[in-house]
Amino acid sequence: MNNGNILLDVQDLYAGYQKLDILKGVNLQVNTGEIVCVIGPNGAGKSTVFKAVYGFIDIRKGRALFDGSDVTDYRPQDMLRAGVSIVPQLRSVFPQMTVEENLEMGMYLEKENKQVRKRIDEIFDLFPRLAERKKQKAGTMSGGEQRMLEIGRALMYRPKLLLMDEPSAGLAPLITKMIFEQIENLNRELGLTVLMIEQNARQGLEISDQGYVLQLGKNSFMGPSKDLLDNPEVRSAFLGG
Amino acid sequence: MDFSDLLIQTLINGILIGGLYGVMTLGFSVIWGVMGVINLAHGEFLMLGAYMAWVLNKQQGWEPFLTLLVILPVMFLLGYVIQIVLINRIIEKPHLIALLVTYGLAIVMASTVKLIYTANPRITTTQFSGYWEFDFGGFVLPVTKTLVLIAALLMMFGLYFFLNRTRFGKSIRAAAQNKEAARMVGIEINKVYAATFGICIALTGAAGMLLSPLGSIHPFMGAAWTLKAFAITAMAGLGNIPGALLGGMMLGLVENLLATFVPTVGSSVGIISSFALLVIVLVTRPQGLFGGLKAPQEIR
Repeated sequence: MNNGNILLDVQDLYAGYQKLDILKGVNLQVNTGEIVCVIGPNGAGKSTVFKAVYGFIDIRKGRALFDGSDVTDYRPQDMLRAGVSIVPQLRSVFPQMTVEENLEMGMYLEKENKQVRKRIDEIFDLFPRLAERKKQKAGTMSGGEQRMLEIGRALMYRPKLLLMDEPSAGLAPLITKMIFEQIENLNRELGLTVLMIEQNARQGLEISDQGYVLQLGKNSFMGPSKDLLDNPEVRSAFLGG
Repeated sequence: MDFSDLLIQTLINGILIGGLYGVMTLGFSVIWGVMGVINLAHGEFLMLGAYMAWVLNKQQGWEPFLTLLVILPVMFLLGYVIQIVLINRIIEKPHLIALLVTYGLAIVMASTVKLIYTANPRITTTQFSGYWEFDFGGFVLPVTKTLVLIAALLMMFGLYFFLNRTRFGKSIRAAAQNKEAARMVGIEINKVYAATFGICIALTGAAGMLLSPLGSIHPFMGAAWTLKAFAITAMAGLGNIPGALLGGMMLGLVENLLATFVPTVGSSVGIISSFALLVIVLVTRPQGLFGGLKAPQEIR
């Protein structure tokens, strides 16, 4: 898949909370059309990378380039406009709003109502299950359905890059498998580029093209995912031998 | 007038005033529900709206109901600016800070109004007065109170429509239900909060106008109204518009029944009944009567 076209380029990233730097020089590159998976122990700063890149917290040093532009100081709404969406680890649906309203919020920045309606229908084609439940309150759906809605909502604004923070978090193995298949489908059929964090390291590496291992706020291993799967050090530390 | 006639007339009066209570509560309830701030200056914003109506009525000769055209935009701007310069800065801090800041705001507002207009009680005079009488049973509808109810219902419906049918209104609900997710989809929380505060203060000021022809206005009327808003919110649930209407009507009924049938309680009856209702609700149903005090963002 690697056509050498770098979509997201994170260089020597420093970020953290209060006085503490969680990230101490993280480097990441995501090529157009790839699925890239970040693994690593708890507290390694995986989610912090997303928060810093997406503009939830400040980048203290280093920079982030997306699609050729410097997005280091972008706020979330700027990232969306540039073509990046995010699905966070914790539940992020609007629980008291219907499925349809949740999707509508995904295109909050679009002024043209007709565009929003059209896009909602396209998402319903992509996720027929959501179409069946369009009038249901999002908070009453199952965990898997809510995750599907979160992905659907993140796709509303037609992102080029989707950031996914532990898509499998809190889901049963069967549902996780379904969500992973869904991600692979989106990558293959829509050419969606995906950068994801996954606790479930083996499964994450299996569906991805490139992998990164983060430890203590720094890169420790990187390379094609299948090489990481074969790497004895990575295997013993993160893949259960 | 025999007992049943008196009862029915009392019920009518209770329902008429209940609309005002309902719309008066919305600003307090929605600010709490959306941004988790208990606005202790709520009653003072109501007082400010009432004084604006009075000034325009007595000094400029306006019909009080027409002053809404000025009160709504001016109070919206005031609320918007207060949120930007004050509340947004403290919203992530512990709740106590917001309580202290809004309490301080209340004192400043009441004292300033007293300095300018003295503490004399005031009332506006509307040309829509008198009674509509009915042929059956001899019941009467006080014209002013009926117009107040109609205006209150219109404003409540307007807010309901705005929050549920417009994109921006939905973004306010989204921010209330999941702030982080709202940021993710590009909603600018600070702007949403400022607009929310502006809209709530506009409604509260409008409610102040609605009560201006009915009762006496004075600089220190605020606290009692904040307490009423608190009591009704406890019954209705945060941000619950139909609930606020029902809760407002309940309080209106209880107050009017007490005033009619237990007259010795005298003029302080309003505050006693709202406080009693609040205590009863909190003790027997701490979750509230219809949905309760659970913040929307906690309902997953």
